[in-house]
Amino acid sequence: MSDAAAPSATAYRTSSRRIGFLVAALAIAVLPLVLGGSYWHTNLTVCAINVLLALGLDFILGYAGQLNLGQSAFYGLGAYVSTLLITKLGVPFWGAFAAGVAFAGLAGMILALFAVRLRGHYLAIASLGLAVIIHQILLNWISLTQGPLGIYAIPPPPAIAIPGLPRVDFRNPIALFYLVAGFALLTYFILDQLVRSPIGETLTAIREDEISAASLGINAAAWKVFAFGVGAAVGGAAGCFYATFVGTLVPDAFFITESFTILSMVIVGGMGTLIGPVWGAILLTLLPELLRDVGDLRLVVYGLALTLVVLFMPGGLVQAARLVRAKLGLLRERAP
Amino acid sequence: MRSSGTRQVTATIVAQQAINGIVLGSLYVLVALGLTLIYGVLVQINFAHADFVTLGAFAAYFFMHLFGGSYLASIGVALVVGAVLGWLINVSIFAPLRHKGSELLPLIATIGVSVMMQNAMLSLFGPVPYAFETPYSQQVFRVAGTFFTAQSIIIIAVSIATIALLYAFMKFTFLGKALRAVAQDRETAGLMGINPSYLIMLTIVISSALAGMAGAMLAPVLVLTPFAGTSVIVKAFAIVIIGGFGNVEGTILAGLLVGLIESFTTQYLDPGLIDIVVFGLLLLMLAFRPTGLISERREENV
Repeated sequence: MSDAAAPSATAYRTSSRRIGFLVAALAIAVLPLVLGGSYWHTNLTVCAINVLLALGLDFILGYAGQLNLGQSAFYGLGAYVSTLLITKLGVPFWGAFAAGVAFAGLAGMILALFAVRLRGHYLAIASLGLAVIIHQILLNWISLTQGPLGIYAIPPPPAIAIPGLPRVDFRNPIALFYLVAGFALLTYFILDQLVRSPIGETLTAIREDEISAASLGINAAAWKVFAFGVGAAVGGAAGCFYATFVGTLVPDAFFITESFTILSMVIVGGMGTLIGPVWGAILLTLLPELLRDVGDLRLVVYGLALTLVVLFMPGGLVQAARLVRAKLGLLRERAP
Repeated sequence: MRSSGTRQVTATIVAQQAINGIVLGSLYVLVALGLTLIYGVLVQINFAHADFVTLGAFAAYFFMHLFGGSYLASIGVALVVGAVLGWLINVSIFAPLRHKGSELLPLIATIGVSVMMQNAMLSLFGPVPYAFETPYSQQVFRVAGTFFTAQSIIIIAVSIATIALLYAFMKFTFLGKALRAVAQDRETAGLMGINPSYLIMLTIVISSALAGMAGAMLAPVLVLTPFAGTSVIVKAFAIVIIGGFGNVEGTILAGLLVGLIESFTTQYLDPGLIDIVVFGLLLLMLAFRPTGLISERREENV
């Protein structure tokens, strides 16, 4: 009985997953056409960038259980490394993109070498320290980064012209949104495969109890380095897109408060799930836009949301959705 | 070969920066001691600790400028404001989350409080730095070529008195002994008839009062903006880690060290490099000596 039931349940889950990806791809395709105007195109692209940032942090925090307050540093490294390669050395966009991602991932792995010996609070402070140092370097290495003056006129990615197909020009904001959102969807797909593979189980085992995991022969140190590398690289990719999307870079875009914003998105959405941070990023990006009057209080809302969610609903939106679904299920069972 | 004149000027500059560093460092000690005391009894970090410093500073500023209070009384006001904030954060965050057994959730919740406080202060007080002038910053004494203000004498005197009082409290009073017992072993202390919840509350209130008070003394030295806390908290974290979390003597030593690093970096390198130097030291400590300058038996968290 149970043997027969198991594969069909898995098949059901796989097919509902496929439907989920399909719906997401459709939404990405349709949204910029429905919501016209540069205001919405900007918001949608910012959403996609924030989704990437939140996914990267969640892989480190939600799955490997390491509180990383340095996501803003990886974000900034991706942005500055790729931009400097393009503007100073004339490296083609996608080469610079790959270098930015790799550099951020490498920085994450170096930080993780500290994480190997440190847990919990110590790691949180070490990662915060990295974020402070990177921000200060961007601010003070003026000959390289132009410091607080910033770097201007960063070009968009080169147009893609394949014979027989329409030319895709990324100066068009819709095309750029498709690029960033498509990359975010691809990242989600890859991370989803990762966390449902034995690698995901290994990371969860380390998060739950590092000592027991080690007793099972898991090399916790190596896996933490892996998780930091992946999460930081995803943050670096977000940085590359940010630079080319905004066209301007200043160090203060990567101040440590950016790490807290990303943390809020992950926590409010629900850490340890992949879909949670996606909703968290979208909600916290759009909510302040919808509440225009709030103005200056945008970050007050973030802080309040972060604190209230930790106190009353530590599983975030995902937990809230499960509760609602359970309630509805009970109602449906009672109804007939 | 240097003439004796330049050597004397160099010596004066070094002495002057040493004084500045000790003044700044003793304030950092007051802030970092609070973090380390809370960590001692609760094994938790209050990320909003430095925002208590900022709000304490604003409370002192407005007490002086709106109500015409004296500067010394405003230090007392800041102390009370800090204590109230400490009580509030214990009631709303640390006490409810204590039994959930998560290491990271309380820290994340206080990050939320910090973000909230900074931005609430930003919309209330604006981003323009406040010039916090006290009657004592104008009184300058000159001793052997070096300058000190009455302000810096007040800072050092209050810091030393506070640290001495705290030390006496921990060493000689029943409450202080109970507090150290809770820090060593919360459960056993509970069996001895000590109420850990009460002592944790007391520790957070005392620590936060120190933070508020430090704010009233720091603001005239640094720049008072709603984000002043951010630069202080990163240094306070560096101090508690360099000194060893939960280690009072190590924290005092590390606080003075960071103050000195800051003043000498300003003099000989570049003020923009302060955080890089301090955090470079922090990362080195974490890599090679994560228990801090003065080793202790508490190693399970490292």
